[in-house]
Amino acid sequence: MSKTRWFILPVLVLALAFAFQPGMATGQAVKNPDTYVSVSFGDTDSLDPGWAYDTASLTVIFNVYEPLIFYEGGRMDRFVPFLSTAVPTLQNGLLSKDGKVYTFPIRQGVKFHDGTPLTAEDAAYSLQRFLLSDRDGGPSSLLLEPIFGLTSSRDDKGNLILKFADLQRAIQAKGNNVVITLKEPFGPFLSLMPLWSFVVSKKTAIANGDWNGTAATMAKYNNPKKESMGFFEKANGTGPFKLERWDRAGRQIILARNGSYWRAPARLQRVVLRQVDEPATRILMVKAGDADSDGGVSRRELPQYEGDPNVKILDDLPTGVSTNPAFFFTVDIDCRGNPDCGSGRLDGNGIPSNFFSDVKVRQAFGYSFDFNTFLQDGYRGKATLAKGMIPLGMFGFNPKQEYFTFDRAKATAAFREAHGGQVWERGFKMTILYNAGNVTRELGSRILKDSIEALNPKFKIDIRGVTWSSFLAAMDAGKLPIFWIGWIADFPDPHNFAFHFFHSDGTFPHSQKFKNGEIDALVTLAVKETDVRKRQALYFQINQKYFELAPSIATVNAIGFRVQRTWVRGWYYNPIYPGTYYYTIWKG
Amino acid sequence: MTVFIARRLLLLPLVGIGVTLLIFSLLQLLSPEQRAALYVTDPRQLLALDSIIRTHGLDKPVTVQYVQWLWRVVRGDLGWSETAKMTVARAITTFFPATLELTLYAFVPIIALGIWLGTKSAVHKDKIIDHFSRLFAIGGQSFPTFVWGLLLLMVFYGALRLFPPGRLSLEANLYVLDPEMFRPYTRLLTVDALLNGQVWIFLDALRHLALPVITLSLVSCATLVRVTRSSMLETLRQDYVRTARAKGLEEPKVINKHARKNAMIPVITLSALLFVGLLNGVVITETIYNYPGIGRWGAGAALQLDAAAVAGFALFSALLLVLGNLTADVLYAWIDPRIRLR
Amino acid sequence: MSVLAARKVAAQTLPVTLSTWQTAVLRFRRNPLSLMGLIIIVGFILVALLAPVLAPPLANTRDPYMMPHAGYSPDPQAPRPGHPFGTTEQAFDIYYGIVWGARTAFRIGLMVVAMSVAIGIVVGGIAGFYRGKVDEVLMRIVDIFLAFPGLILAVVVVAILGPSLQNVLIALALVGWPGYARLLRGEILSVRERDFVEAARAMGANDLKIILRHVLPNSIYPILVVSSLDMGSVVVAAAALSFLGLGAPVGYADWGQIISLSRNWIIGSGGNAFAFWYTVVFPGAALVFFTLGWNLLGDAFRDILDPRLRGST
Repeated sequence: MSKTRWFILPVLVLALAFAFQPGMATGQAVKNPDTYVSVSFGDTDSLDPGWAYDTASLTVIFNVYEPLIFYEGGRMDRFVPFLSTAVPTLQNGLLSKDGKVYTFPIRQGVKFHDGTPLTAEDAAYSLQRFLLSDRDGGPSSLLLEPIFGLTSSRDDKGNLILKFADLQRAIQAKGNNVVITLKEPFGPFLSLMPLWSFVVSKKTAIANGDWNGTAATMAKYNNPKKESMGFFEKANGTGPFKLERWDRAGRQIILARNGSYWRAPARLQRVVLRQVDEPATRILMVKAGDADSDGGVSRRELPQYEGDPNVKILDDLPTGVSTNPAFFFTVDIDCRGNPDCGSGRLDGNGIPSNFFSDVKVRQAFGYSFDFNTFLQDGYRGKATLAKGMIPLGMFGFNPKQEYFTFDRAKATAAFREAHGGQVWERGFKMTILYNAGNVTRELGSRILKDSIEALNPKFKIDIRGVTWSSFLAAMDAGKLPIFWIGWIADFPDPHNFAFHFFHSDGTFPHSQKFKNGEIDALVTLAVKETDVRKRQALYFQINQKYFELAPSIATVNAIGFRVQRTWVRGWYYNPIYPGTYYYTIWKG
Repeated sequence: MTVFIARRLLLLPLVGIGVTLLIFSLLQLLSPEQRAALYVTDPRQLLALDSIIRTHGLDKPVTVQYVQWLWRVVRGDLGWSETAKMTVARAITTFFPATLELTLYAFVPIIALGIWLGTKSAVHKDKIIDHFSRLFAIGGQSFPTFVWGLLLLMVFYGALRLFPPGRLSLEANLYVLDPEMFRPYTRLLTVDALLNGQVWIFLDALRHLALPVITLSLVSCATLVRVTRSSMLETLRQDYVRTARAKGLEEPKVINKHARKNAMIPVITLSALLFVGLLNGVVITETIYNYPGIGRWGAGAALQLDAAAVAGFALFSALLLVLGNLTADVLYAWIDPRIRLR
Repeated sequence: MSVLAARKVAAQTLPVTLSTWQTAVLRFRRNPLSLMGLIIIVGFILVALLAPVLAPPLANTRDPYMMPHAGYSPDPQAPRPGHPFGTTEQAFDIYYGIVWGARTAFRIGLMVVAMSVAIGIVVGGIAGFYRGKVDEVLMRIVDIFLAFPGLILAVVVVAILGPSLQNVLIALALVGWPGYARLLRGEILSVRERDFVEAARAMGANDLKIILRHVLPNSIYPILVVSSLDMGSVVVAAAALSFLGLGAPVGYADWGQIISLSRNWIIGSGGNAFAFWYTVVFPGAALVFFTLGWNLLGDAFRDILDPRLRGST
C-alpha cells in the first residue's frame, strides 16, 4: 500500500463515524424526549442529606429524598404536607399552644425506593441523625439552634455535648407521628422543614454502616468522615426519582423515575445532571439540543443565548433569597505583616487596624460606591438596589428604608469627619481583595476603587485577586480590610440574614470582629416574636440600625433568570429551591 | 539489557520520593488555614475552620504529615482526593484510561504529520513548503490551546454538529454505564466497544475523540516537525547519503531507504518522551471538551490544593516518566547498534 | 512537554564550534526567514521601548501596566476611533494592552530564561565537570523536577504562592531550569575530552580556569539556540496559566491575560459567530509573531553555528 493510500483508512472511519450518529439534531424534533439533561458547574459534594450543604448536592437530594412538609408551588411562605399528612398549626392543634411542640402525622403507604415501607421511626431517625452528625461546616446547626439552643453539638475541644436523652426527648416517634419538641418557640421553624428534614431509610442507613440509633455508638457518628456516611453515594429515599448512578468518572449523576412513587409517577424517565466546567461548551451544548438547560450561565454570557429560536430565556424572576454581594469592613484588622494595610498607620500610605472602627469611614465608603453603574454593568440592569441585608421579596424587607446611594457630597462630608478629619487630610492606602475568578466581585472592587480615588487624590486603593484558600484564610484571620462576599438564604426567613450579617456570633461579624450587644439582643428578640406584625416592626428596626451602623454595605438584589430549551415544559419558579425540581417537568 | 532495565526501574522509588518531597515542601509554604480551604467551599462554613484543621491534622508540621503520608503509601493507601470524591488510587485508575485513549489516538496524526512535514521541509529546504511547514508548526504552538479548542468546537460542533464534546453521546453513555450490558475490559472506550461487539459505540467514541485529537495535534506537532527537519537535514549531509547520490540512486530512494531510517533515531526518542508529555499536557483540552481525564483532575487538584491528590499525581507522573525514558532508551539502543546501554 | 526533547536532539546534533562574525552575518543575509525573525524581534523591542509614546498612560495612574478602561461595559466593543483594536469586557483598551504587553512579554521571557539558564548552568556545569557521585546526585535532582509535568508543577507553585506575574515567573523558571542543566552537562561532557582541554590541564591550569576559559565558551552555543526558542514558548506558557486564573491580574497589560479574557467571547454572540474577533485576533497575533520571531532567530542561530554547514553555503 503506497504512502498516500493509508491516509484513506482513518478518513473512511471518520466519515462512517459521523454518518452513523445517534441523535443528530434534526431540526426542531425533541431530542431524548424521556430524558432531561442539565449541564452546570460545581462538583457534587455528597448525596447524603446529613452532610450536604452545597447547591450541587442539594439539587440531587431534593429530587431523591423528601421532607415532612414542602413549599406550596412557587411560594416560600406557604407549605403543603408531604411525608407528613398535615402542616402543624395552632388551629389544627398539631402545634402546641406554647409553640414548642410540633406533631407530624406520617403518611401511610409510602415506600422507599427499595420497596420497604416508610414509618415514623425512619423520620425520627433521619432527624436525629441529621442533628447528631453535625459535620464541620455542615447544615446541622440550622436545626440544632431552634431545637436545643446550641450552635454546635461539640464544645471548643471537640467533645460531644449532645446527649442521647436530649435527642430522644426532642425527636420522638409516637405511633404514626413524629413529635419535635423545641427548647424555645422558634417562629420560622416550619420554613426550615422543607430543605432540612429529608427522610432516609433507617434500615438502609444501618446496612450501609451508619449509626444504629443507640446511645452507645453516638460519639462515633458525630462529625463523621464524608465518605463513611451511609448515603454518601448510595441512596434510598421516597422521592419521585431514584439514584440510578453517580458516575464520578464522567462527572454526572443519573436519576431514574420512581415507578412506585406515592403520588403519580414523574413524566420524565431519566434525569442526567452533568458537570461541564467551560461556559462556552455549555452554551454550545444547549444550542445543539444535547442539553436541556444551563445551570451555570451568568448575566454576562446571557446575550449569547438571545435570538436563538430553540432556547427560551425566562427572565425577571424575583429572587428574594440572596444578598449577593455586599462588601464588609473589618473593624479590627490584623495589620501585622499585612501588606494590604500598607504602612499600618494613618499617614497616607496605609491604614491603621482600627480604620473601619469609625462609623463615619464606613458610611463614607457606602456613599462612595456607584451602585447604579454596578447594577448596569454587572447585571445588565437586571437588579434592584438593596435596602439593607434583607433582600427584596423576603418578609422584613422595608421598601421605604433609607439606604446608601452614590452621593459624592455625602461621601466627602463623611470622609471629612472621619477620624477627626485626619483621613481627609492625610489620605490612606489599602488593598481590596476579591476571590479571583468571581467577575462580579472583581467589578465591584474596581468600581469602589475608582469612585473613592476620584474623591481625593490622597486616597489610594489597590485591588487584588487571590485564590480561594488565601481569601478564606485571610478572612478567618481578620486580615482583609474590606472583603466582598454574598449570602444565599438557608431558609426563607429574615433571621437567617439578620443573624449572619449583624449578630456577633454570625458568620460575617465573626470575621469582621464586629460586636454590638444591643444589636445581638434585638436580633434574638426578633426571631422569638410570634406575632407577625410585631415581628415585622422589629425587622424594620434592624434594617434601620443596619443602615446607621453600616458594618457592611449591601449593593443589589439580583433579578433571576433561567435558560432552557423551548421543548422543556412544566417548570415553575421557587427562589428557595436549590435547583430544578424535576417531578413536574416533561419535554414536548 | 535486563540489568539496564532493572537499574532504571530502581530509579522509580528514588524519583518518586523526590517528587513528592518537592510537593510537600512547596505545601509547607501554606498556612493550616489555607490548606483547610479545600474543605470549606462557602464562607458560611468559616466558623468550622478550626475544627476542620484539627480533624484533618493540618496544623501538624509538614514533615510529620509527609512521613505519615509516606507510611500510608508504603502500605498501599494513597489517600482520599477531595476534588475527585474518591480515593486517589481510584481516581488515577478512573481518569487515566480516558487520557491514555486520547493520547494514543492523538499520537498517530502527530507523528504522521510531524514526520511527513518535517521530512518534506528538510528535503525542500528553503523552498515554499519549508517555509509553510515551519510557519504552520509555530503558529499551532503559539496560539494558546483553548483558542484552538473553542474555535474548533464552535465550527465543528456549534455550526456543523459533527463532533460533539464529551466522550460519548447520551445513549451510548447510558449503555456503557450499565454493568449488565457492557463490560469495561480496558476502560479505553473504543477498544472496549469492539470487545463488547458494539460497533456503534466504537464509532460514537471516535466521533467524540475527533476534536480533542485535532486540537492536540495542532499544538504538539510543532516540536516534532522541527526535530524531524533538523535531524533529516543533518542526515542528508552525511557521507553515506552523498555516496548514495553519487552512485546514481534516485532521490526518493535515497530519502526513503537511507536517510529516513537514520533520521528517525532522535525522532523516536523524542516520540517516547512526547507521548509522556502529551499525557500530562492535556489539561486545557480536557477542560474545553469536557473530557474527564487525568490532566483535568491533576490541574484541578493543584488549583484547589488537594494535597493528597497532587502527591498521588506526582507519584504517577514519576512512574510514567521513568517508563517513558526507559522505553526511549531501549528503542534508541535497539535501532542504533552503535549505542550500547551502559 | 515543551522544548525538552528538542534540547536533547540539539545536544546531539550540535557540535562545538567557534564562530566568526562574518560567517554569521553572511548566513543571515542569505536566509530571508532569519532576516524576518530579526526584523520581527527588533520591531517588538521598539514597541516595548516606545510604549509610553505609542500608548501614553493616563495622567493619574499609579501603574502604567494596568490597562485604562473607560467604563465597565460587560461586553467587548469593536474597534472604533480612540480604541483602534477595540476593548475587552470591562472596557480595557486592547491597543494599550498590546503595546505595553510587549514590555511584559520581554520581561517574562528574559526573566524566566535568565533564571532558568543561570540555575541550569550552575547545576549542569558542576555535574558535567566533576562527574562521578556529584553528577549522579545532581542528575537525580534534575530527574525529579522533570518527572512532574511542567504545567501542573507551575500550577502548584502559583496556586501556593498566589496568582501574580512575579510568581508565574518563579514557577516557569522552576519548570525550565532542568532542561538547561541537562543540556549544559551534555555539552561539557563532550567538550572535556577535547584536546585543548587536555592541553590546558597539562599546562597546569586549575579547574575553575579551565571551566571558565575553555569549557564554557565552547558549550554555550546550544544554550543560545535553545533559549531563543524558549523566549516564545515561555510567554505562551504564561498565557496558559492566565487561562487557569493564575497569571497576571485582570486588566494587566499581558497578552496572555488579554487573550484569556476572550474565552467567553470566542463563540460569538447571537447569530454572528465571529462578532468578537478582535478579542482573539490582536493578542493572538502578538503572541504568534513574538513566538515566530524568536523561533526564526533560534533556527538562524542553529544554522549559523553548525560547522557542518560551513563551506556548503
